[in-house]
Amino acid sequence: MLVVLLLLAVVGAVTATVVAVDQRDVAAEWEERALELEAQRDAIDEQRAEVADQLEVTRDALVTSERDVDELEDRVRALADEKARAEDTATTVQVERDVFIELSEVISDATGALDSCVSQLFDLQAASVEAFNRANAGQDVDIDALNARATDVTRFCNQARTAAANAEAAADRLLGS
Amino acid sequence: MLVAGLLLGACVEPPTTPLDTPAVLDIDDVELPEVAATSVERRAQQVTVRVRSLGCEQFGLGSGFVLADGVVVTNRHVIEQPREVTVNTWDGRSFAAEVTGVATDSDLALLRLEDPGDLPVAELRTVPVERGEGVFAVGYPGGGPAQVSPGRVLGMVDGTVLGEPAEVIRVEVEIAQGSSGGPLVDRDGLVVGVVFAIEVDAGIGLAVPVETLLERLDAGELVAPGAC
Repeated sequence: MLVVLLLLAVVGAVTATVVAVDQRDVAAEWEERALELEAQRDAIDEQRAEVADQLEVTRDALVTSERDVDELEDRVRALADEKARAEDTATTVQVERDVFIELSEVISDATGALDSCVSQLFDLQAASVEAFNRANAGQDVDIDALNARATDVTRFCNQARTAAANAEAAADRLLGS
Repeated sequence: MLVAGLLLGACVEPPTTPLDTPAVLDIDDVELPEVAATSVERRAQQVTVRVRSLGCEQFGLGSGFVLADGVVVTNRHVIEQPREVTVNTWDGRSFAAEVTGVATDSDLALLRLEDPGDLPVAELRTVPVERGEGVFAVGYPGGGPAQVSPGRVLGMVDGTVLGEPAEVIRVEVEIAQGSSGGPLVDRDGLVVGVVFAIEVDAGIGLAVPVETLLERLDAGELVAPGAC
């Protein structure tokens, strides 16, 4: 009985020793693993901080870029507006030029017709004076020819007056008065 | 019992697999400024053009927007009796345009650019707008620089009194003379209407719904513009 108890005690002591040694090894492994994980955590924290810094820098750069783009776009819009308005003005000037050219042609035609009318009236006046003098001198006068000429001059001058009236109407229309 | 406990404790080994690496940063959680290059407002501005029309009796300025194949949508009243039509883009380019057709029963007209190049084009929405929906009106008020004005849809109103064939969109948004023909776009940048009038006393904008435009485009119910 004593021997059995002794054997059991020995076995227990040996087992306890083996387990203690094993536990010490496991504890050492745990410690090693803990140190490894701590280093890994520190590395990850460092990496996170680095990436966060980079992101912040990138965000700031993006904000700056956006602001720059916005400012440039504002400038582009302003320049485009100036260009468009200049084109508006050019178009308006072109229209005014066309109007003045058209008006100038109409007025030129009317003025020419009126000038010709005046010339013909002067000629008619001279012919009439000559006819009057011939009649006073007892010479023959071709009254029919004189009357026909007066009719022609009157018709021509009426046409000139119509051209002048048309020019006036065109001026009213084109200049919007 | 003591021995069993000791043995059990000895079985626990430290883990050998690496720890799960925590996410450094979730990009969705990062507050980034809106990227202007892809913003709806910028896109809407890029497809919106300024329309200058030299007519028989008048000089008209308005807005419009570009569709595929150099087609530009604008208002009929912007290009009455056109002799010469020019389109200006927001960034200063100019294009000669030809009026290809006007609607007889709606304030709509189509132009075609002679050489549209790489102009961005607008997309039309096929689903009707809803009351309260957020929208943008884009145009060239007063013939000035391109302007994007946010607002919201107030509802639909009978358009027949205004010469329109169907209901028109009432929209609470800042528009003015020169905005006519410009697009009304939704928050996704899709065109939902064509601005054509203002309720002067209330300052409320009116837009021809894009459905009316699509019907005119599909049916080909457009005629040649009036001549001098």
